[in-house]
Amino acid sequence: MMLTQILVSGLGLALPLLIAAVGELVSERAGVLNLSLEAMMLTGAFTAVTGTVLTGSAWLGAACGLCGGLLVGLAQTLLSVRLRADQIVVGVAANALALAATTFGARLLLDGDRGVTGFERLPIPVLADVPVIGPVLFAQTALGYLCAGVVLVTGLLLGPRTGWGLRIDATGEDAGAADWTGLPVRRIRALCILLTSALAGLGGAQLALSEVHAFSDNMTAGIGYLAVVAVIAGRWRTPGTVVAAVAFGVAQALQYALPAAGVGLPPAVLTMIPYLVAIVAVSGLAGASRAPSCLTVPFARA
Amino acid sequence: MGLLVLEDLGRSFGPVRALHGVSLTVAPGTVHCVLGENGAGKSTLCNLVYGGFAPTTGTMTLRGRRYRPGSPAQALAHGVAMVHQHFSLVPTMTVEQNLLLGGRGLRLRKADLGRRLERIAGEFGLTVPRDALVGDLPIGARQRVEIVKALLPGPDLVLLDEPTAVLDGPEIEALIATCRAVAASGRSVVLVTHKLGEVAAAADEATVLRSGTVAGGGPLAGDASVPRLLALMLGRDPDDLDPAVTAGLGVRVDVATGDATDVDAATGDATVGDAAAERAGGSAGREPVLRVEGITLGRAGRTRILADVSLTLAPGEIVGIAGVEGNGQSDLVHVLSGATRADAGTVHLGGVDITRATPARRTALGLGVVPEDRHHEAMVGAMSVAENLYLARLGDFRRFGLLDRRRLDTAAADVIASFDIRTSSPRTPMGSLSGGNQQKVVLAREVAIPGLKVLIAAQPTRGLDVGAVDHVLARLRAVAAGGVAVLVVSSELPELLALCDRIHVAYSGRLLGPVPAGGERAADEIGALMTGAGRSAAAPANEETGAVA
Repeated sequence: MMLTQILVSGLGLALPLLIAAVGELVSERAGVLNLSLEAMMLTGAFTAVTGTVLTGSAWLGAACGLCGGLLVGLAQTLLSVRLRADQIVVGVAANALALAATTFGARLLLDGDRGVTGFERLPIPVLADVPVIGPVLFAQTALGYLCAGVVLVTGLLLGPRTGWGLRIDATGEDAGAADWTGLPVRRIRALCILLTSALAGLGGAQLALSEVHAFSDNMTAGIGYLAVVAVIAGRWRTPGTVVAAVAFGVAQALQYALPAAGVGLPPAVLTMIPYLVAIVAVSGLAGASRAPSCLTVPFARA
Repeated sequence: MGLLVLEDLGRSFGPVRALHGVSLTVAPGTVHCVLGENGAGKSTLCNLVYGGFAPTTGTMTLRGRRYRPGSPAQALAHGVAMVHQHFSLVPTMTVEQNLLLGGRGLRLRKADLGRRLERIAGEFGLTVPRDALVGDLPIGARQRVEIVKALLPGPDLVLLDEPTAVLDGPEIEALIATCRAVAASGRSVVLVTHKLGEVAAAADEATVLRSGTVAGGGPLAGDASVPRLLALMLGRDPDDLDPAVTAGLGVRVDVATGDATDVDAATGDATVGDAAAERAGGSAGREPVLRVEGITLGRAGRTRILADVSLTLAPGEIVGIAGVEGNGQSDLVHVLSGATRADAGTVHLGGVDITRATPARRTALGLGVVPEDRHHEAMVGAMSVAENLYLARLGDFRRFGLLDRRRLDTAAADVIASFDIRTSSPRTPMGSLSGGNQQKVVLAREVAIPGLKVLIAAQPTRGLDVGAVDHVLARLRAVAAGGVAVLVVSSELPELLALCDRIHVAYSGRLLGPVPAGGERAADEIGALMTGAGRSAAAPANEETGAVA
């Protein structure tokens, strides 16, 4: 089944993107744009593979992936919340740094094909046998199910209808008003960035340990950027972000699926697909979107 | 024993002493007024008490214990709440969401909020529309939400920073009633304002700040103490000032005796000098230089921002537009200055149709504009005073194709001297000047437009200290005397009454009136128009009418 294949590999690529995007959504609603999401994911993938190789345990490796993401998140927090550095500049710098550091680190710590066993697929009995939906949704790895669970819990607990979600929204919409109301603006933002980075690190681990089973240089290849775009395309709402993330994942899967199906498009054109989808999504053709008013504006008490 | 005691409090920003040696005591169950003109240190004082920043010297004591709030959150935890001049409500959220923000934990305790809102409604008569979006509320209703939000945690001390600045007469009256009710419940209220006239009715005690320190104070024993407090606040004899200035403070000055008496806060009524009346006759019958016809903004079907606005200005005439903010007057200025294109209607300047002209073309035809938002529309803060003065005419200072800075500075120095702009040099960054001096620079630039025919000044005196207000109003008069038509948009009705020949009122996107400013009952008529009374039957009644008390 052609469709099933595309969807299976599409969701495989979508899941890391999805968990990173849901995390980024939380940060952006609090007013922080983490362009360093790419760095968080790449570092997460690298530390996950390295951790797995060193400890021999895929779970410890996944934990290392989470911590790798957190490390970048800590730097982003320190620079953009504490020192009020330009969030975009910090993000771009972090991405360049992470690319170089992980490439170098892989030369030092990993040898040979850099492969790991990682996580096995665990099809859920009965459900996995449902045509199309079964193999797509219910044949993930243990880490994959965990990621999906984390996405769900994050979406529910930090949605705009909970107390936490409301305070996050206030921080991103009007940081000054939130501060005068007695909300700890900087702490909320710091926690949101740290949450985002942990999720992105987990996403990197999922990509490396569940899908690719190896670390390769620059293996995230723009997934982090796509996750940022998914938030914009999803108009800063959870359902929209989820739809956008999955759509981007499928678009990426088409890169591999179309040549296999004998569609004679040059690979370069196929590589462009997710980004074209992203441009259409943010161009406003899909309706007006409005970012949180204080997005990328560092907070300082007057 | 005071609830809040400040001793020798001071705060410096670098070399600037914003506040020093301030001592005052707020007694429980009273309304304490902190008076001072713009720049006297009132906002700094509020920030110190509400934890915005820490004092550099002195101590604060709350209920007999040392009080050092490190953040607004800590101030709130100590039972200190504040109602802000610029609202602390998130405009994109509903009233209910804003009120829930102060809570803790994951769950939204709506039922609990409902109970507490009922209690506040019972105790103070304050009700709020829970499901309305804050951004959609008229300004008076928004302030009511702000007050309810401050009262929600049950504070012992409520600070109100310039609460009357955005309100009209009946709203101010309701606010005063609320302050009295809050004080009667055993809490203390600190009213921070420069509108002296509005104080006498509300406050038990007053402290006057001038240049960052306490100039005096004492119990407010009715109107008798007002002239003394006014002199304290200004640091000079009120009689020296333009009557329009003192009128703007909510005080009537009887020129003959030098007595200041309280203005009826409910109507903003003030009878001031007859200068306007004297000049009114002179300009009548002249060919209008600015002709605005049928300007409409906003799509049909929805609420119109501007609806069929027409207006004419003759040379040498000063016309005012009064009204509570948000009734379309800002949008009208944007249309006239060329920042916004009207959906219908025409504007003629000196016989030329400028409806679709660019701002540069309008300037070339002799239209000067002093915009309302000084920082964003009128100046470039990081550039020097000289550059700001001549930004549109830098071509005049060319030498071998390059900018001749020496000539630029020399020209600027002349303007700086003649407009009495306090700056260390023409190269000082504009942003480092005080608000009053910035406004003088903007005014100087607009007045210097070659062939100036019409000058539009939007909220020209907002945020300025009394000296600067005096200066700006005198300039506007001088410009008009020189044959230029002047349009002044202001929410300071007493200023308009003293300055203008006739006054229109902006209400719900329409221009009502005009009312001749010299008339006996001009203030009453305008006050009535401002609340929508006497508007044409077709006008939409989308104004919030609920009273506070």
